[in-house]
Formats: sequence, C-alpha cells, structure tokens
Amino acid sequence: MTKNVLVVEDEPNIILSLEFLVKEAGYKVRVARDGEEALRAVAEDRPDVILLDVMIPKRDGYDVCQTIRANPAWKDLRIIMLTARGRAAEREKGLALGADDYITKPFSTRELTQRLKQILG
Amino acid sequence: MTPRALISLTFAGLMVAVVAVAGWLAWSIGADGAPRQAVHETALLYGSGAALAVIALLGGAWAVLDRRLAAPLRMLARDIETAARVNAEREIALAGSDHLAELTTAVAAMMHELADARRRAADTVAEASRRAESEKGQLETILRDLHEGVIVCNLNHQVLLYNRRALELLHMTGEMGLGRSLFTVMNRQPFLHAVEILTDRLGGGQPAEPGDDRMADATQPFMATTADGRTTFEGRMRLIPDADSKATGYVITFEDNSRRLAALGRRDHLLSEATEGLRQRVSSLAAAAETLEAFPAMAVGERQAFEKVVFDETRHLSQRLDALAAEYRELVTGSWPTADVYSANLLNGVVRRLRDDKGIPVVMTGLPCWLHGDSYTLVELLDHLIEKVREETGAGEFDIEAVPGDNRVYLDIIWKGPVIPAGELAAWLGATLTGAWGALTARDVLEHHKTELWSQAHREGYARLRLPLPAAAEAVPESGRRRLPSRPEFYDFDLLRYQKYSGALGRRSLKSLSFVIFDTETTGLKPSEGDEIVALAGVRVINGRILTGESFSHLVHPGRNIPEKSRRIHGITDEMVAGKPSIREVLPAFKRFVGNSVLVAHNAAFDLKFLKLKEAAAGVVLDNPVLDTLLLSAYLHDHQTMHTLEAIAKRFGVDIEARHTALGDSLVTAAVFLRMIEVLEARGIATLDQALAAANSMAEIRVRQAEF
Repeated sequence: MTKNVLVVEDEPNIILSLEFLVKEAGYKVRVARDGEEALRAVAEDRPDVILLDVMIPKRDGYDVCQTIRANPAWKDLRIIMLTARGRAAEREKGLALGADDYITKPFSTRELTQRLKQILG
Repeated sequence: MTPRALISLTFAGLMVAVVAVAGWLAWSIGADGAPRQAVHETALLYGSGAALAVIALLGGAWAVLDRRLAAPLRMLARDIETAARVNAEREIALAGSDHLAELTTAVAAMMHELADARRRAADTVAEASRRAESEKGQLETILRDLHEGVIVCNLNHQVLLYNRRALELLHMTGEMGLGRSLFTVMNRQPFLHAVEILTDRLGGGQPAEPGDDRMADATQPFMATTADGRTTFEGRMRLIPDADSKATGYVITFEDNSRRLAALGRRDHLLSEATEGLRQRVSSLAAAAETLEAFPAMAVGERQAFEKVVFDETRHLSQRLDALAAEYRELVTGSWPTADVYSANLLNGVVRRLRDDKGIPVVMTGLPCWLHGDSYTLVELLDHLIEKVREETGAGEFDIEAVPGDNRVYLDIIWKGPVIPAGELAAWLGATLTGAWGALTARDVLEHHKTELWSQAHREGYARLRLPLPAAAEAVPESGRRRLPSRPEFYDFDLLRYQKYSGALGRRSLKSLSFVIFDTETTGLKPSEGDEIVALAGVRVINGRILTGESFSHLVHPGRNIPEKSRRIHGITDEMVAGKPSIREVLPAFKRFVGNSVLVAHNAAFDLKFLKLKEAAAGVVLDNPVLDTLLLSAYLHDHQTMHTLEAIAKRFGVDIEARHTALGDSLVTAAVFLRMIEVLEARGIATLDQALAAANSMAEIRVRQAEF
C-alpha cells in the first residue's frame, strides 16, 4: 500500500520542492499550510509521516506535534520536524514534545528522502 | 588643705597647747594655798620663761619648714600643673631649695618624657592625617576620572558616597544627598536581589563552602533603571566586609547602557537576520536547484516553475546581503550581562519571593549545580511561570529543581496536574514581567539566554516545565578545591551490626520513608584517641526528593586544635570554629532536625562512632535506624572493590560539585542513595528491614575480613 505523507509548510517555494520530492520517492502527498489545517488533515485521513515545519501560522509546529501525541490513536504516526532555526534547545524541545526526527533548513534534498525512507521502514 | 596650711596649723596648735599647759600649771600651783607664795612666784616666773622659749623655738622651726619645704613644694606643684596642661618643656626650677633637688630632677625627667611623648603623638597624627588626605585626594581623582558611576551604600540602602559620574548618569543636577535612600533615584528590586544573592553566596544560606574569604572577590552583575524608568543601567555590586567578615554595606559601579542595549538589540536582530533569516531562502533555493539537477527529464511546465524559484530566491538573497552588510558597518557591539550562578542561590530567591509575596509554597529539591545566566531576570521568569501554572492548573504547591545535563542545566518546575499545551505556553511568553526593569517579556528572557521552554509529563500524575540553560563555563571556586583521598573505610561496624528493626517502620517500603542523609567532618580518624567533630550537616529526603532547602549545617568547636592534615581535607580552620557551639549543643539540635527519620550516611559507622561518643554529654540518644550507602553499594556491586563516595557517585551518574564539606557530601550521598533505592527494589530489597538486613550481611563479611 502506498504510504501517505503530509507536508505542513507555509512557504510556497519550499512546498514546491517538498511535494515534488515526496511524490518522486513514491509516496502519496498532501499539503497543509497552517497548524489547524494540519490537524484537520490528520483527522480526515491519518498519514504515515508528517513533515512538520515549526514556524507556521495559527498553531505552531510544537503545538501540532504535542496535540498529535496526546491522541493514542495516532501513536504510530511518525513526525519529522523542519525548522529554519538551528538552536540545540529547539531541537530538544521538539524531541521532548514527541517528534521522531528533526531536520534543520537548509537541508539536502537527498538527505530528506533518505530519512523519509528510513522512518517508513 | 594644702601641705603648707597643714604645717602652719600644726605649729599654731602646738603653740596654743604650750600656752595652755603653762597657764594650767600656774593656776594649779596658785590654788594650793598662800603659805608657799614665794615658791609660787618663782615657779611662775621660770615657767613663763620656759613657755616663751618653747614658743619661740616652735615659731623658728615653722619658719624654716615653711620657707624651705612647704613653699617650694607648692611652687613645684604649680609648675608641674602648668607644664602638664600647657607646656611640658618649661624648665622646672626650685629657687633656693637644694633639699628637694632629687625630686626636682625626677620631675624634670618625667616632664621631658611627657614632652617627647606629646611630640611623637602629634607627629603620628599629622602623618596619618596627611596620608588620609592624600589617599582621599587619590580616591577623589580616581572616582572623578572613572567612566562608571560609583555609589556606596549601607545595608539600609542609604547613600554614603558617590562620584560626579553617578550624578551625570542619573541626570541629577545639584547633589544626591548623603544618607538618602538609593531607591529615591534607582528602582528597588535589582539591588535587593543582588544583596540577597551575594549574602547567600557568602554563607548566608549555604555554609557548605567554608574557609574561603570570598567577600572581597564576589561581585554580582545587575541591571537597573532610574526610578522614573527612563534610563537603564548595567553594573556590578560588591559587599563591603567589616573586620569580622560581616557585610556592612555595598558598593555599586554602573554605567548607562541604554544606548548599548539598543545597539545590542539591533545587533541581535541583525545577526538573526543574517543567519536564521536566510535559512528559508537558501532552503527553497537549494531544494529547487537540487531537484532540477536530479530530474533532468521533468516536464517543461514544471521545469519553468523550478527555474523561477532559483532566479527569485537568488536575487532576493543578494539584496538582503547588501542591506545586512550596510547595517553591520554601523553597529557597536556589546553583550548581555551574565554570570555563573549557583542554582541553590537562584532557586532560593524564587522560593522566598513566592512564599513571602504570593504565599505559594515552593520546595527546592535535588542537587544544586552551577549554571550560566542572568539570575535576576531568571528569577522574574520562574516567578511568572509558577504563578501562571497555578492559575492554569490550580496546582497548590510546586517543586523546583536544577537537573544537570550534557553541557546544560535544566531548571524544572514540577506540579501535580496536567501538562501545559505548547500553544498556551507560547501565549504566556508575550506577557511583560512585572518586577523587571523596562518592558521585558518572558520571551525576551528566553531569547537572551538563547533557549526554549516546554512542558511535558513528569512522573505519574505530575507535569513539569523545563527550561534548559547553559552550564557554568568553567569549574567554579567551590568545586575547585583539590581532590583529596577519601577517608579509609572504617571497620568498626558493631554500631551497625546489631541494629534490629522489625517494628511497623521496618516493614514500610523504602520509598515511603523520611530520611536524613548526614555527614561529619572531624579533626582526624580516631574518635577514641581524642579526635572530634568540627562540622555536622544533614539534608532531608522525602518521597524520593532531596529537600535541598531543608538542611542542617553547623560548624562545631572541637575543644582542641585542628591538625593541618585534616584542615587540608575539609578546609575548616581553628579561626572558623572559634566561638562556634560545641557538639554538646549541636547534637541535640541535630536530633530535633532528624526526629523519627531514618539516618543514612556513607561509611555510617565512622560518623556514628563520633556521634555515639557524645550522646551522654549531650543528653540525647540517636536510636534511629541507620543505613550505610557504602555497605549497600557493597551489596549491590560486590564485584566492585571501590566503594568510596566518589566511585559510587560516578557509578550512579551523580555529578559531584562540592566534596569534603559536610553539607556537600550529604547532598551527594542523598543523590546516590535515591538512585540506589531503585536498584535495590529491582533486586527485591523494598522495605527498611530488608535493606538493614542486606547492609548487616555486608558488615558481617567486612568485620570477618578485617579480622584476618
């Protein structure tokens, strides 16, 4: 069965690349542009992985991550956080709130697809 | 009466007596009868003559005495008086009285000495005044030329001294006025906080680091504003010690940093723009470029979209770079004032403020450690957060703990109740901190410390807020003391061997008990040969938490000198214990602190032996059950040969901050013991009786080993 990836990001230029790359890697891809839309998308059709940017409108990435982790029905959902800030405390905060992995921008597109494949087993 | 008057009176009295005797004789002879009239007349004639002669002689003697002795003595007395009061160099001369020559010489010599002493005293005073005057001149020059403002205050915050620059910085015309409160010109909180931190650091709350004369070295950075809040200052405070090393006041040096802070803000903004701000653009660019390269066969429409991204982003980046470079050239640099802070001082400040100002009970737990930051704004932040958590969750009491991590220290606020959602927490951070200078938000404090804050589950039913901060940059003075060998294992285990505890207490689980973990420092290793306790400390452990704020720590007068050998280990000197209570007074206080708790110590037999020997004199009996972390470690890791506190702390992953102070060792032992309880439970040792039995079996083995 085709794996389902949700990209949560508000920057159109990076969405273009992410969407294309995920599709090319052989996964089904959907895009959400803010925190609320992301949670709605998860509730509608549970993805296998979320690529979750931290700085998004309405509810930030940490908030979305913690909310997903609070629901036991979504415990198999993998979360990879994306951030444009590279502080160690932010990385640690993301992992403490339940993220499975953490990628700092700018990232190499090859590395991103590799991590996706790894996490989807 | 003067001697001269006395002599005159004596002689006059004698003369009157002679006349009276003569008169009486004449009268009594006349009364005998007429027949002897001839005899009578003759006697009367001779008698009168004799009396007159005696009077004349007396008169002569008086005249000589008066002229030669009484008058010169009186003159001498007047001379001495004049010389003593006015001029000691005046010559003492006794006209025509050779008889008093010796006295005159002696008096003259004395006067000479007096004159000399006066001259010397006058010289010393003149020299001292001259030096004081010159030092004052130098001090004034230094203070005047200082770029910083300087204000000296007593502990009531009354101004005792200040320089011109201080007036300028405070925008004051005229004088500040000595004796006036500092708080009429500056805002109050930062100074109260700095004094509190410094006194605490110098032994107020933590007698764990004895020996160092650190008052002169300890300074505390602060930020303050003028009372009207228009200008912000950055400075340092230092306490002024008296002869007994007690603080009598403080000196603050400060400078106007409003402009510097503004520049700092611009610089931070610029740096953030130049680094983090570019990530987004670079990220889009890199992704588009790499995708183009990796998929050469993509459709024309798709390809054009990617090419446009590459083009747009590249142009954007170039423009940003130009703007940033232009801004950079105009910048003055500076840095945010931070210092190494002992977590116990910082958290004590939070505990006190919440208890006194808001009535919120907060318990400080865990092992204190050193971190790096601005303690004043951190106290404000923690204060704000705890209050918000209470509002949000209704939690009534809190634990606060510093947890050392990898290159960082986590400050954890722990409460019973739900986790705070990230979104909610983000909303709190925008609030202005009330006590802080300027309009500082919680988010600003996080930014200055380059950190984040989050809430997550703690143990069952509990949640925590976690704030990571950088660990102190280098080893701090307190832990910098040379590492010295631990005391040898003490083989007199009889004290532990025979304790049996099978009452209700013995059946309770280790986790549910209240413990006091204690340690002593001593003059040597042989209590039965006259070695004595010089320090006794303990800390309470309840429900798996070290109650750092509930500690007992006393220096003890040993009633003998402290040998150099042991002084090198614990740093406690004869001077430090001078005037301290003896163990007879300290032991009953310790017994009250311990109450019914179970006692725990590392190598407990050693400490216990010292205490037991003093029980009779102190009039108390420590009959509490005692656990020994050394014996428990031997039970858990019997293949390990090293059971020193250092070795087992390392084995259990406990950071050692201040070894070889009674309180420091108690804290380390407590942390080790808490982790030990978990491992003991896993090995089926869950109750007090079981733990005592395990330790006793080890004691038996060690006693037997020692016999061979």
